[in-house]
Amino acid sequence: MENMNFQVNLQGIIDLLSNHLYSDPGVFIRELLQNGVDAITARRKLGHQYEERVTVELFPSSHTLSLQDNGAGLTLQEIEQFLARIGSTTKKGDLDAAEAFIGQFGVGLLACFVVSDEIVLITRSAADGDSLEWRGKPDGTYAIKKLNNQAPIGTTVYLKAKPEYEDYFEYDRVSDLLTRYGQFLPTPIYLTEGGNEERINESLPPWKLDRAGALDYIEHSAYYKPMDAIPLHSAIGGVEGVAYILPYAVSLQDEKRHQVYLKNMLLSDKMATILPPWAFFVNGIMNTDSLRPTASREAFQENDLFFLVRDELGNCIKQHLIGLSEQDPELLKRIILIHYASLKAMAVEDEELYELIIRYLNFETSYGDMSMSDILSSYPEILVTTTLDEFRQIARVARSQGLMVINGGYVHDFELVRKLPSVSEDVDVSILDILAIANRFERLAGEERKALEPFRDLADALLERFQCRCSIRWFEPADIPALYTTNEEVNLFKLADDSEREANALFASIVQVIRQELYDEPFARLCFNYNNPIVRKAAASGDIELQKVCIELFYTQALLMGNHSMNAEELRLMNESLLHFMNRGLDEAVGGAR
Amino acid sequence: MKQRYYGLRREFWSMPDGKRKLVVLEEAIRIADQYMTESDAYDARMDYSSATLECGCPERLFISFSWCLAKFENNPGVYSSFSIMWHYKWVLNQIWRLPQFSLEQIEAVFADFERKCKQYGYTLRAYYQQKVNFLLSQGHLEAAAAYHKLWKETPRDSLSDCLACEQNLFGEYYFRINHLKRGMQTIKPILDGRMSCRSVPQTTYSNMIVPLLKLGEFDRAIDIAKKAFRSIEGPSYLPEYGVFMEFFTVTDMPKAVKLYERTIQLGLESKMPWDRFQYLLSVRLFLQQWSKVKRRKKLAESEQVTLAWLDEEIGTLAQAFNDRNGNDYMHRFIAEKEQNISRLVKKISGG
Repeated sequence: MENMNFQVNLQGIIDLLSNHLYSDPGVFIRELLQNGVDAITARRKLGHQYEERVTVELFPSSHTLSLQDNGAGLTLQEIEQFLARIGSTTKKGDLDAAEAFIGQFGVGLLACFVVSDEIVLITRSAADGDSLEWRGKPDGTYAIKKLNNQAPIGTTVYLKAKPEYEDYFEYDRVSDLLTRYGQFLPTPIYLTEGGNEERINESLPPWKLDRAGALDYIEHSAYYKPMDAIPLHSAIGGVEGVAYILPYAVSLQDEKRHQVYLKNMLLSDKMATILPPWAFFVNGIMNTDSLRPTASREAFQENDLFFLVRDELGNCIKQHLIGLSEQDPELLKRIILIHYASLKAMAVEDEELYELIIRYLNFETSYGDMSMSDILSSYPEILVTTTLDEFRQIARVARSQGLMVINGGYVHDFELVRKLPSVSEDVDVSILDILAIANRFERLAGEERKALEPFRDLADALLERFQCRCSIRWFEPADIPALYTTNEEVNLFKLADDSEREANALFASIVQVIRQELYDEPFARLCFNYNNPIVRKAAASGDIELQKVCIELFYTQALLMGNHSMNAEELRLMNESLLHFMNRGLDEAVGGAR
Repeated sequence: MKQRYYGLRREFWSMPDGKRKLVVLEEAIRIADQYMTESDAYDARMDYSSATLECGCPERLFISFSWCLAKFENNPGVYSSFSIMWHYKWVLNQIWRLPQFSLEQIEAVFADFERKCKQYGYTLRAYYQQKVNFLLSQGHLEAAAAYHKLWKETPRDSLSDCLACEQNLFGEYYFRINHLKRGMQTIKPILDGRMSCRSVPQTTYSNMIVPLLKLGEFDRAIDIAKKAFRSIEGPSYLPEYGVFMEFFTVTDMPKAVKLYERTIQLGLESKMPWDRFQYLLSVRLFLQQWSKVKRRKKLAESEQVTLAWLDEEIGTLAQAFNDRNGNDYMHRFIAEKEQNISRLVKKISGG
């Protein structure tokens, strides 16, 4: 048996890598810059003392660009070993040294084939004296020749624009790209065209600036005035950075765009995952030395180290907020006011933060919107609803009864309220059982209750087909004749009813099992208010027929008041009872006029 | 009302998975039933069906699905056969999780699905796949092996699970019948990153933890558990939370406690007997280890969740499944699991 090698269509592979690995043709500038900077680092390691620089020159008449570095250069052997072999890199051999370089995949030059049909590279190695020219083509062929003229030590790459890509070789575009990727690189970078020369990178990166400088930087580069700048630091990930607290509220759904630099070169300005998901109220700018990028170098490999670093950075933000509560509580209050949604999400997960901010947060209560510190100072007993719907059903009545009910129906609010006893020992929090709310109303005296039993029994009998049970109590406000409460499963049961009726025999029996064996029938409650004069009159009336119509109208009116959906039968009931009373009223009016 | 309907739908999309999300959609469906067209009501129910699985209330799937199936059967030209058959697959994957359904009922549903596969031009691959699951849950390994063979031999089609999911399930099959090495081999393409989808590799990770422990590959198990634990979130992973709780019980007690506190509410609320059984069984293994040492900390829900209560719950559930299945598989299942854990505890505390 003979071992064979796979045959690879080189042109296809180059096309694949160069056109599909990268999301933006402009990355060729990044790849060239990176090779240049790495070459300079390599020469520095040889012990050479000299003025380091990278120069990009444009030749607009021929749509050509050159990028020259005065780094270590390449020998003939190195060219054959690395340039002409995809997937190898000069930076692999020495593991310790690899840390100092930005690139590591040996595919960087391929990015140039996106914009150019030929790469010409002129180089002279700092180690041996020959000047060499290498020409590579996207079909996978290349040629090397020795030059007679002596080139300076270092490497120059020449690219000529492919049709349609000329604008990537124009001054403004190149200047933008160089600034984007290279503005914080320590090696001086120059862009020249004709006689002009411009230094690209003179500014200090924001992570090297003090707080005022960092705030100033973002105001001038991103045109917003952050509320605060939080220094980020992770020792294990070699990360330094700044998290800017945004001056406006952001949605949880928005894609985060943090700017991340790898060894001072921009890796991505739309990295979402480098900070914890709850930190969506900040924009981060940071630089890392040790996280490993993916092959396209537009994201990091999400390994254990990555998540450790992310947690460490998250902790920086948290500790900063904790510090603020002592140094600048006013600022913290403003931050909470704007970013409460994000901070609520954080507080649910984190005890320390919860304790810090819970009192500043606002909640919807039966007494209107209130901050938790106000709630705690006046109400030792707190009820919390599990849904918005439940809250709406009883908010008004609860207030009249002097009950402090907090709406737990918004995201996180329920958990936040439930955790209150962990920060305040005097508070008692219980979950409101919406069906038992009537038990909190004033009971009627024994005799009165007895006298009203026939009325209640009549109501029970009438409303049983709507799965509704009745009671009579005394409660405020008097203008509400009856309160209808139901828990969240009532719609589910109505759906189950429909399904059981519609389904084929096999599935009807299945639905029946689900509703009977897994769920308790939810009975709704209708509590008549004996404080209401019309209820008192209806109960006192001896006319059973009239009482019936009154009960039906009380019921449907309570449904309407509570925003509950009515089925066809309930609508019919409302119509009939309304018409009944209209008719009665009209009869009386006409009779009286006679 | 239309406005309220669309408002509810909007709210639904922005809510985190959970029971409250379903409550919102239930109201929307009621509105669609009364004020909109039948196909609006149908679409709303189809969305609801998939939400029931994500929101940890899979038993509600039967309610919406039954209605949709009936409408589809009455009017097969109006609704997509593919969508309803895809949902039908979910039903097959849930129905045996309730001991309240008799074997006859379950077989009848399987038979109906099989008939519909033929009627609407799908191969029986999905049918065989579900059959394997059902048989394994009753401990019928030989019958499962026969269907496993049929499953692999039947050509794939659009009703089959995606390649990554299927590969994952093939692996799970070997784990379930205790062919651990074979299972590891099967999921290798997934671990190498060559196959993935929305739920793979997360589910693969949690599937392989117990097998890894059984194989004695502790370091690898710890490594995988870390990865997996980060990727599962939400109420649909109850049995998986159980797996991790067991795992942390033997490797990292404080983490087990944290996971318990985070998930116990979900477990208590879960109505699906099979999922509830799996989770509570893990809780019991955790609590047994936890109570071996005197502790000052009081666990959440400690009044309800006691060892005695767990014994009772687990016993009742296991008995219900055994009665339905007509064998004692659930008791064997519990015994094996307990044996496994105590062996591990010995090994880890001894080594």
